[in-house]
Amino acid sequence: MPELPARHDLVVFAGYCLAAGIYIAIGVAWVDFLLSFWVGLAYLALTAWLVPAAVRRLR
Amino acid sequence: MSWAAHDLEPYAIQRHTKLKLAFVPLLLGSYSPDMMTKWFVYGIHVGPWELKASDPAKFHRGWPGFGFTHSFVYGAVIGLIIWKVFGSKLWGVSFLVGQFAHALTDTGDTVGTMLLFPWTFHFHLGAWAYAGQTGRMTDAAAYFSGLGCMWDLVWVVYGLVSWRVLTSAYFDNYIYRADAFWPWLNRVVPRGALLTVYRAAFFYGTSRWVAWTIWAHVIHHYPYDLSWGGPHWVHAAHP
Repeated sequence: MPELPARHDLVVFAGYCLAAGIYIAIGVAWVDFLLSFWVGLAYLALTAWLVPAAVRRLR
Repeated sequence: MSWAAHDLEPYAIQRHTKLKLAFVPLLLGSYSPDMMTKWFVYGIHVGPWELKASDPAKFHRGWPGFGFTHSFVYGAVIGLIIWKVFGSKLWGVSFLVGQFAHALTDTGDTVGTMLLFPWTFHFHLGAWAYAGQTGRMTDAAAYFSGLGCMWDLVWVVYGLVSWRVLTSAYFDNYIYRADAFWPWLNRVVPRGALLTVYRAAFFYGTSRWVAWTIWAHVIHHYPYDLSWGGPHWVHAAHP
């Protein structure tokens, strides 16, 4: 039987999916947003690292 | 040309190749052939002027032009320079492998690549239409309507099935340890941010694939044409 992701992995994956959903929505509305890897990297750093880190600090 | 494969292939290559590879130069190699040329293929506006190649396909993939960036010799030369200048064989070889992957992947379209440059023969499978000369939007619509986007989808699915390559444990045990670049960067950048950087290309490629697919087929209703060499509603360039 294939190994399944642990709960923590699924929580992280859900967070990335949420970030991806917003990224995709912005990108579909304004395709220039999709053109640069660096914009994507900055967006991901904000949503998948900075915001969660700030939330953890506030708790 | 490919729109997401070059973001996604490095994850599979790093995992499955027998060689020890570093992820960052592998990704740089995968991006390198198009780094300097894509803007001029599609054209940009600077004030009243439009800067665009007169023959975008030839400029991008041909000779005279920058088609040599999609050849094995280009990857070998730049990889050798990286090895000798930066003293890292690991980075040189990893760059070379990433660049080879890009050059091989782009043989899938109707223009193909001059793999054995200076021999200027274009190796091409012709599976999907090269439409860079039509401009970015039409090219996107065509690419995400033909077999090219299906090739990208293979790598998206691969990443999701091989989810371990994206985990924190995989990053710590294989990516971070394989390359002194990560510990060096870790002196100023927290580990959590490094992990985000490692995942960024997968996030970017996958999210972009979904977004362009929605844009092409939900917003604009371009027809799918998954026949060989399609979509045939766009004028495909040939060598």
